[in-house]
Amino acid sequence: MKKKKFLALLLTGAMALAALTGCSSGTETTTDEGAGGETAAEGGDGTYRIALIQQHQTNAFQIGVTEGAQAKADELGVELSILSADQDAAKQISQIEQCVSEGYDAILFEPVDPDGLRDAAKAAADAGVIMINIVSACTDWESAGISAVSCGDNVKAGENEMQHVADLLGGEGNIAILTGPSSTTDTTARLEGYRNILANYPNMTEVVAPADCEWDTAQAQATVESWLSAYDLDAIVCQNDGMAVGAGNAAGANSGIVITGLDGTPDGYEAIKDGRITGTVAQDGGMMASSGVEAAVTLLEGGTLENNLIIADSVWVDASNVADYE
Amino acid sequence: MEYILEMKDISKTFPGVKALDHVQLQVRPGEVHALMGENGAGKSTLMKILMGIYSKDPGGEILFDGKPYTATSPKEAMDMGVAMIHQELNPILDMTVYENIFVGRELRRNGLVDKKAEIEQAQQLIEECGLHVSPKETLRNLTVAQCQLIEIIKAISVNAKVIIMDEPTAAITDREVELLFGHIRRLKEKGVAIIYISHRMAEIFSICDRVSVYRDGQYIGTGTTKELDEGQLIKMMVGREITDVYPKLEADIGEVVFEAKNIVRADNKVKGVSLSVRRGEILGIGGLVGAGRSELVEGIFGMHALSQGEILVHGKPVKVSSPEDIIKEGVALITEDRKVTGLNLSGTVNDNIAMVAIKKLLTHGLYNKGKARRASEEYIEKLNIKTPSVDQIVGNLSGGNQQKIVIAKWLLNDPDIIILDEPTRGIDVGAKRDIYLLLGNLVRQGKAVIMISSEIPELMGICDRIMVMCEGNYSGEVSREEFSQERIMTLASAIKV
Amino acid sequence: MKETRRAKALISEYFIFVIFIALVVVLTCLKPSFIQPSNLVNILKQASINGILAFGMMFVIIAGGFDMSVGSTVAFTGILAAMLGQGQYPIIVPLVVAMLGGLAVGIINGVGVSVGNLPPFIMTLGTMTAVRGLALLISDGKPIIGISEPYKAVAASSIFGIPMLAVFLVIIILICSFVLSKTVYGRRVYACGGNLLAAQVSGINTTRIRISTFAIAGLLAGLCGFLMTSRVTIGQPTAAESYEMDAITACVVGGVSMSGGVGKPWGVVVGCLLITVIANGLDIMGVSSHWQKIVKGLIIVLAVLIDVKGKSKKR
Repeated sequence: MKKKKFLALLLTGAMALAALTGCSSGTETTTDEGAGGETAAEGGDGTYRIALIQQHQTNAFQIGVTEGAQAKADELGVELSILSADQDAAKQISQIEQCVSEGYDAILFEPVDPDGLRDAAKAAADAGVIMINIVSACTDWESAGISAVSCGDNVKAGENEMQHVADLLGGEGNIAILTGPSSTTDTTARLEGYRNILANYPNMTEVVAPADCEWDTAQAQATVESWLSAYDLDAIVCQNDGMAVGAGNAAGANSGIVITGLDGTPDGYEAIKDGRITGTVAQDGGMMASSGVEAAVTLLEGGTLENNLIIADSVWVDASNVADYE
Repeated sequence: MEYILEMKDISKTFPGVKALDHVQLQVRPGEVHALMGENGAGKSTLMKILMGIYSKDPGGEILFDGKPYTATSPKEAMDMGVAMIHQELNPILDMTVYENIFVGRELRRNGLVDKKAEIEQAQQLIEECGLHVSPKETLRNLTVAQCQLIEIIKAISVNAKVIIMDEPTAAITDREVELLFGHIRRLKEKGVAIIYISHRMAEIFSICDRVSVYRDGQYIGTGTTKELDEGQLIKMMVGREITDVYPKLEADIGEVVFEAKNIVRADNKVKGVSLSVRRGEILGIGGLVGAGRSELVEGIFGMHALSQGEILVHGKPVKVSSPEDIIKEGVALITEDRKVTGLNLSGTVNDNIAMVAIKKLLTHGLYNKGKARRASEEYIEKLNIKTPSVDQIVGNLSGGNQQKIVIAKWLLNDPDIIILDEPTRGIDVGAKRDIYLLLGNLVRQGKAVIMISSEIPELMGICDRIMVMCEGNYSGEVSREEFSQERIMTLASAIKV
Repeated sequence: MKETRRAKALISEYFIFVIFIALVVVLTCLKPSFIQPSNLVNILKQASINGILAFGMMFVIIAGGFDMSVGSTVAFTGILAAMLGQGQYPIIVPLVVAMLGGLAVGIINGVGVSVGNLPPFIMTLGTMTAVRGLALLISDGKPIIGISEPYKAVAASSIFGIPMLAVFLVIIILICSFVLSKTVYGRRVYACGGNLLAAQVSGINTTRIRISTFAIAGLLAGLCGFLMTSRVTIGQPTAAESYEMDAITACVVGGVSMSGGVGKPWGVVVGCLLITVIANGLDIMGVSSHWQKIVKGLIIVLAVLIDVKGKSKKR
């Protein structure tokens, strides 16, 4: 008896919590898989209905994607539903299927896995839905029924970052690299960009193997602390801003070591301002998303795209221009 | 006031079962009051109500020291002056002796644990009890009997007015029993009342003043031990007369089927013991606790490494490096501590019975549930196991029935040689008798039985031959014609003194 | 005979300490900069947060429980601390709120396990997921920046060359060791984990003890959240991913038995230092972080193997 009561109480609590969560995230017109009914009812007045399925919504870059897409959708007067796949390819597949059956006109998505999402995209395209990749693309995307890709170029962004490091060091010095998990394409592409530049500068030496700090600030901080007691480093090149902040914390403000990040997120900008890190390459997630929405609308209206691969340029941000980006 | 404790009109209903039906109990200060009855009679339930572990059904009342008494937890019961030694309760093995004695009522100084005082007092209590262990020893390193004594010391050292002892002697032998009785007498003199639950008749008559008997949740009656005799008591307990407590079935004794020669265990707990048993024979192994009896059979069974020794089954040498090797040869060991090594307590009767002989229950290589059920049902009937169904969870059955399930599980494998370690520990007269009869029937079928027991009357009652061990050594052997309690005791303590 | 057995027992008990010393010697030989004072300071800093978490975890495991939620709790309370640590309140406010937040999670865990009778793994797996969600929710998925200078200084400063983080760790170690070995409460924590039923019938309020161990783990996770934010200067909802595993590893490697009732504080200290030294040493040698994972995994299995072997020998 007692146990049942407790269980009921627990359930009620959990439901109340869920309701609360639902409300407060509603500011972004974000909808969960199940809540599609509401938007479907509104779709009758002739406006286009577009779905955006993000990889996840747990960092500043992704929040930028959310905001950029929403702003563009408002501007163009289309209805946008935003979903998060929570880094789960299977979930993303079922979200795409769900959106197709709910009659969305276009689906923008950021593939959790470049290969795993191809079949789902193809099926959706065959059902007449305009499919667009943002931020990153499916493998061989054109054959997977994807009409357009709006992304940054990780290799180019990596080249941009390393080129600035090389310039700051005058082409010589000891460098170390912090990477994300080696299993992701972000990591490998950015690393490729680094290596493209390093090939031109024989006097820039990597004194330690790149460390995988899993995009995590604390882990980067510990690794760099350890490195600094054993190596004389002139630059620490990081694949995201979070890790650059960790490196900056380990080295201290104005350490004389060139520390760079990539992505352009608020924590990175803050660290640039107080001198813990030197600069970052901003990847404009908002731009990628808004170009994606724009492309979708163009295609839905029967237009054509000049180029169905839309690259958002990366920008170097340092102390001189950081104020413009906050 | 005549009674220190009065329980009147107590009932307890579990879902579907009426465990206690308007029963009563009256205990006088300074008496040892025995509770008797077969398993399932309701003794333990009644005591758990007293300790605040169960709540009684509405109605009825408990008076303690003349005042109404309710306890909702063991702590409350203890605070009011009622302590209990639980039957087969595992102690906290990773704690030391003194920590176990004082658990829940730690001695304090300045708000902190007073280790020194605890160790000193524990030392004193241990000495009084005639036990030779250091208070700082971890219980994991002690024998079952030593652990049980620690439990007893723990309860005695609580300043209680009523102490409940549930099978306190189940795992200890006569020497320690005497020490325990000495304690009980001292407590009596101080006016402490003892509620004593035991299945051992001899103990009841030697230490208890009065007996209350219960059967199937009903109160049967109370009498003094002076007025009652064993036969009357058994009749009250089982509701019918059992004339023969130790039934001995005659069997033809044949050739030697099992031999263990010069067994020495790597940990030196057994120092060169040999034994042999014939077809149709029941061999008893007697001795004091710690004599190395369990260690011997566990060594033979491949549960511990041997540094020396030879094992022959049907005259053929067998190399034993794990129990599997010897099980294959048709030997079964029914271990002493059924809860630890004998049963899967959260499994069903069926699961447990099918555990060993699972190969016999296969059809085309797959487990055949129907076959297993039929086999289980057969043994439930054969061994007179009291269970509502084969799907009952074993942990919910009484000790006697659990023991029978352990035996059933091995019998299903059809072994030729059956070794039992304290098979009747903590079970009631009826169930004991069932087990004796079962062993008798097994040897009649041409099997051989080896039984370890600390109860000498039991060994003398059903064995054909008794081997006695002392401190890891073989100290002698007595055949049925020469059986006498003194002879066995002398051998059991041969090297001591 | 007896002496060799005792010696064996001693070795198995202090084995992890031996491994630790050996590792330090090997690393020093391979890379002398390992033993430099500046690097020793690094090790202390890096061991601190995991160490504090491991001490909370130790209480839970000794009492026979298990807590998967501490990593998420660190992230959640770190966000709370970052939001309140922008300079608008005195520094004590984020500290207290973070610890209260952790305490709340701990009490929920404890009640679920000891009153609701849920297996600790399931209960804390639930809170682990929910609390991570809560951290993402209140931070809107973004890192919280802009914490005040005094707050940043908490983790960055040092006293007589000893980093503040390590000072926190030492204080926690001293308090926890004292509580476990000297107080009645500590004794009862061991009793609950050693044999819950026996503890119950000995008159111990096991429900309260078990809730309190989860509460301690939560409270310390809250402290870690506060320190973590100070150390990395931002509050991250994704921080402290799988920190619970590191804490459990430190405990297990340090000889705390997963079945409860056994474990010594000094063992956890060594366990925690061992993990940190492995990471630090391999970093210094420039070994790939993938190898670090392999080494860490091997050490866990080895440590538990020795633990189990040591026990089976006795009974």
